[in-house]
Amino acid sequence: MSPKVTEFRNPFHEFEVGFNVIMDMIEPGTRVLDLGCGTGTLLKRLRDEKDAEVCGVELDQEKVIRCIERGIRVMRLDLDEGLGGFPDLSYEYVVLSRTLQQLTRPSRVVKEMLRVASKSVIAFPNFANWKAALQYVIRGRIPMCGSHPHPWHSTPDIHPLTISDFRDFVDQIGGKIEKEVYIVNNAPTRSAFWANRRAEWGCCLISAA
Amino acid sequence: MPTAPIKEYADSDGRYGRVQTRFVEFDGITLESGIYLGPLTVAYETYGELSPAKDNAVLILHALSGDAHAAGIDEKGRLGWWDAMIGPGKGIDTDKYFVICSNCLAGCKGTTGPPSINPATGKPYGRSFPLVTIGDMVNVQAMLVERLGIEKLLCVIGGSMGGMKALDWAVRYPDRVRSSVVIAATARLSPQGIAFDWVGRNAIYSDPVRVEPAGDSGGGAERAGRGLAVARMIGHITYLSEETMEAKFGRKRRLTDVNGYRYSLGENGGGGGEFEVESYLEHQGSSFMQRFDEDSYIIITKAIDYFDMEWSYGTLSAAFRNILAKMLVISFSSDWLYPTSMSLAIVRALQAEKKDVSFVELDLPYGHDSFLVNAGMPPLTRIIRGFLGRVSEGD
Repeated sequence: MSPKVTEFRNPFHEFEVGFNVIMDMIEPGTRVLDLGCGTGTLLKRLRDEKDAEVCGVELDQEKVIRCIERGIRVMRLDLDEGLGGFPDLSYEYVVLSRTLQQLTRPSRVVKEMLRVASKSVIAFPNFANWKAALQYVIRGRIPMCGSHPHPWHSTPDIHPLTISDFRDFVDQIGGKIEKEVYIVNNAPTRSAFWANRRAEWGCCLISAA
Repeated sequence: MPTAPIKEYADSDGRYGRVQTRFVEFDGITLESGIYLGPLTVAYETYGELSPAKDNAVLILHALSGDAHAAGIDEKGRLGWWDAMIGPGKGIDTDKYFVICSNCLAGCKGTTGPPSINPATGKPYGRSFPLVTIGDMVNVQAMLVERLGIEKLLCVIGGSMGGMKALDWAVRYPDRVRSSVVIAATARLSPQGIAFDWVGRNAIYSDPVRVEPAGDSGGGAERAGRGLAVARMIGHITYLSEETMEAKFGRKRRLTDVNGYRYSLGENGGGGGEFEVESYLEHQGSSFMQRFDEDSYIIITKAIDYFDMEWSYGTLSAAFRNILAKMLVISFSSDWLYPTSMSLAIVRALQAEKKDVSFVELDLPYGHDSFLVNAGMPPLTRIIRGFLGRVSEGD
């Protein structure tokens, strides 16, 4: 686990704490697919530190090119069009990091993840975080903070959710949460008092029930 | 004021320097049709140095009208057709890689093709040249690569018809290619593609033939029409996008008179064209007449028409089952001749077989020819350089 960092991260900063949590959930030497892989930072770490066989999916052209420049296998695809091309259980892990809340059809994508890999790792911003909630309740503003860095009109986060929402969601689509890690004050923890209101991020390992 | 015609290839500097096309001879080859063709000459060029382990060879596969002269400056001062991509420090870095490009079988730039002398008649084959397939072209390249002493290519790279060859290489010689880059290609030519080729060939067939004295058979007869130019014009329309045509030509006219129009069809309805787009096509057609052989055009377009891996192997998945190469598939958003959906069909079949495939659709407005023009060079350079780096590092 990385040292505790107190300040909220700039959104363009690599998601280091979250990546450490995800890394810890993945067994070495496995095949890992990262959906919405960005410039391939996590995949590069998985390849170099976990000896994983990695592949990314990303929609942004520039990020896709960056992945290829970094020697990362990548496909430029739109997740909202599904994972139709990926055969059943062709990976050990599928990762969806900071992308769930941006999908048009999250349930379709997560169901597909459960089909494509035996385990899925999903990291998402927790919209019930109290600092964010206070902005809404006290200031009367749509929250903007480290985990929700964009103003309402330009945020890609079209499907805000909370850790509690996520538990229900996984249940509804026929999945099972095997492990939950919360990122509270930018530090990972397995159990936290009032986690749903204190965590900035949730990160869960799930599988088909 | 007339605008400068669109250049066919990206601006470049010939950084690799002087190059010369070389030739290698073979006894012959049995074509997929069963016909034996021989003797066989293959024209090729190489750039860079083959490593002592012979593991840095990259084979470049040209498109319909390309040739062996891919990079550097030839004896006539002409730049290679992909010089912007190949050279010291470029996307395909000749300081790192040994780059080979050969003229394809049935071509007209030094490799045996319709303009070559048929030893049986002592005259050019002309239209009596046997029909060949993309697979035959690949088989001939494999003979060349073997002759050069290379057991395994680091990469095969091609766009359009070259992309078909890159795909065919990975399928046909799985243990002889470590990676393959398939650009703006398809595993199966569409009926629309076949239709355009058919019209192009028909333009050529419609030419009057000036028959030579009796006794001449198959080729050698001088032709009098402009069918090849028309075929090339049709081809060029399919290589560009509507958006590019609008941006480059709009409705601009070269010569105007009353009301901005010339009110004349020009000499024989030609006269170089009134609209810029006409003048561009005229230029492309005429220059193609000077540099290409119409019978090669017929035979090569026919090979492209025949290309259908689904037909040849039952399904695309079956075709790709034995592939060992790392695959990179690239398409262009504005390519309506070989659209992204066709590249995705390749990608999905590779995925189904759990192959190592990367895929990039590039947002470029320049249509099918995006891999040859200026705007395509920066992203393609980054992508190909990165991919080659990954393959050569053996990840």
